Amino acid sequence: MLDRFDRALLKANRWTLIVILAAMATMVFVNVVLRFTTDRSLLWVEEVSRYLMIWLTFLGGGPVLRYGGHLGIDTLQEALPRHAGAIRTAIFAILLGFFAFMVWVGLRYAAFAWEQTTPVMQIPIGAVYLAMPIGFALMIVHLLLMAGPYVRRRAMLADGEFDADAAKL
Amino acid sequence: MIATLFIGCTLLLALGVPVAFALGGGTLAAMLVNGNLSLLALPKTMFSGIDVFALLAVPFFILAAELMTGGALSEVLLRFASQFVGRFRGGMGHTNILTLTFFSGISGSALADAAGPGAIMIRMMRDDGYKPEYAAALTAATSILGPIIPPSISMIIYALAYPDVNLVGLLIAGVLPGIVIALAMAIINHVISVRRNYRGSTRTYAWRDYVRNTWRALPALALPALILGGIASGAFTPTEASVIAVFYALFAGRAIYRTLRWAMLPGILARSALMTASVLIIVAMSAAFAWVLTISRVPQDLTALIVGMKLSPLAFLLAVNALLLAFGIFIEPLPGIVVLVPILAPIAHALGIPDLQFGIIVIVNLTMGMLTPPVGGLLFVTSVVARVPLAKMIGELWPFLWAQIGVLLLLSLFPSISTVLPAAFGYR
Repeated sequence: MLDRFDRALLKANRWTLIVILAAMATMVFVNVVLRFTTDRSLLWVEEVSRYLMIWLTFLGGGPVLRYGGHLGIDTLQEALPRHAGAIRTAIFAILLGFFAFMVWVGLRYAAFAWEQTTPVMQIPIGAVYLAMPIGFALMIVHLLLMAGPYVRRRAMLADGEFDADAAKL
Repeated sequence: MIATLFIGCTLLLALGVPVAFALGGGTLAAMLVNGNLSLLALPKTMFSGIDVFALLAVPFFILAAELMTGGALSEVLLRFASQFVGRFRGGMGHTNILTLTFFSGISGSALADAAGPGAIMIRMMRDDGYKPEYAAALTAATSILGPIIPPSISMIIYALAYPDVNLVGLLIAGVLPGIVIALAMAIINHVISVRRNYRGSTRTYAWRDYVRNTWRALPALALPALILGGIASGAFTPTEASVIAVFYALFAGRAIYRTLRWAMLPGILARSALMTASVLIIVAMSAAFAWVLTISRVPQDLTALIVGMKLSPLAFLLAVNALLLAFGIFIEPLPGIVVLVPILAPIAHALGIPDLQFGIIVIVNLTMGMLTPPVGGLLFVTSVVARVPLAKMIGELWPFLWAQIGVLLLLSLFPSISTVLPAAFGYR
C-alpha cells in the first residue's frame, strides 16, 4: 500500500518536473525566435519561465533527496562505522526539523506576499512563493518514505530508476 | 551571530548533512541567536537568490549537454580528436584530453564532462592498456575544464554573486586559461606515457578519412562555435544562447546523427531537472548565508582590513589561492562562489586586480576543489564510472594536481592570459 503510494508519488513528481522543464525551454526558445523574426517578444515569458524555474527547484528537492543527489560529507559515517546508524538518525532528525521550519516560514511568507501581484501576469506573488512550503512538505514526505532504509543501511534509490520509469511508459 | 553561522554550518557539514541544508540550517541558527531579525528574511533572500532570469541558462545548458550526450556526440568528437593526436605517445590519453576540451565547449559543468564522454574515454583507455586508475585520474583532472571553457554554470553564478563583473566577458575569459590547462594535462600525460611506455595508435589516416571524420564532427563542433560566437558578438545573451543550444542539440541528435530517440527525452528532461534542482537549492540556501554575512558587514570590514594592509596585488592573489585551495577541499564550487565571491571580489577590485582575471582564478581554484576528498564530487563520479577504488585513483592524481597548481600560478602572475581575449571583444 505504502509502496504503491510511493511509486505513484515518484512518478507524478517526475512527470511534473519533466513538463515544467520542457515548458520553460519551449517558451524561452519561442521568444528568442520571435525576437529574431519579428523584433518583438512576449513579455509574460520572462516572468512565467522564472516562476516555473522556482517551482522546479523546490519540487525537485524531494526526488534529489531520494536519489542521494544532495552532496554531503560522509567521512564521519565511514570513520565511525559502529555509530553510523546514530549519525544518520541525527541527520534525519535535523533535516526533518529544518524542512518543517521551512514549510512554516514559507507559508507565512506566501501569505505575507499574497496581496502583491506580479507586474505582467497580475497573479499573486504569494502563489509563486507557495513553491517553497509545498516543495519542503514534499521533501518531508520523501524523507519519511526513505527513512528506514537510509538510517539502517544508507540506502537510497538508484539513479537509474528515475530513468527506468521512462522506459515503462 | 557570525560565530554561530560558521560553527553551525561546519558542524552540520561535518555530521554529514547535505551541503545545501547545512548552509540553510547554519543561517537559521545564526538568525535565531541574533533574535532581532525577522525570520521572513530567510525565504525572502532565498527567493531573491534564484528569482533571476539569467539563471535560466543553468537548466538549459545542463539540458543541452544531456541531449548531446544522448545523441552519441561523444563518439563523433572522439574520432575527430583521435585522428590528430592518437598517433603520438600516450595517444589515447591525448585523445581523451582533446575530446573533453571540445565537450567543455558544450557543457557547463565538470560532472557532465566526467560522466558523459569521460566515462566512455576511461573504458577506451583501459582497453588500450592504460592502468584504469590512471585513466580515471586523467579524466577527472581534465573534466575541470567543463566550467572553465564556456558555457559555464559556475560563471553564471559568479556574475550573480558579483554583479560588477560582465558575464559575457567572464565567459570569453575562460577560453585561453582552459586551453592552458588542457596543454598542462597533455604534458603530464606525455611524461607519464613515456615512463610507462603507453604507445600511440598505429592507425594511419588517408585524407578521405580526415574529411569524413571532420564532416561527421562538424555539426557537434558547430555548437561551441555557435554559443561562443553568438555570445561574444552580442547576437544573443547567454540565456538565449543556452536555449538555442537546447534546440540545436535536439535537432542534431534527431535529424543529423539520428541517435536520439523521442523515448529518451523524458529521461533526459527528468535527469536535467534533478540536476537543476540540486544546483538551485544550493544557490538559494547560500544566498541566505551570504546575506547574513553582508548585514554583519563582514565583506566591508574585511575589505577595509586587507586594503589597509597595503598588500601588493600579487601577494593578495597568492594568499587567495592558498585560502581557496584550502576552502575547496571542504566545499563545493557553487556554495563557495556564492559565499566567498561577495567578500573577495571587491577586495581584489580595490587592489587593482582585473575583475575577469580574479573571476577565472576563483573558478579554476574552486573547481579544482572537486578533485580533493572529502567533498570531491568529481573524484566520486569518476571512481564510480571507472570502477576504481578512490585511494588508488588519488595516487595517480597528484601529478595532474601539481600541474594545475602551476597553471594557477601562471594565471596569477600573468593577468593577460585571462584578459586579452575578452579585451579583443571590448570587455574588461
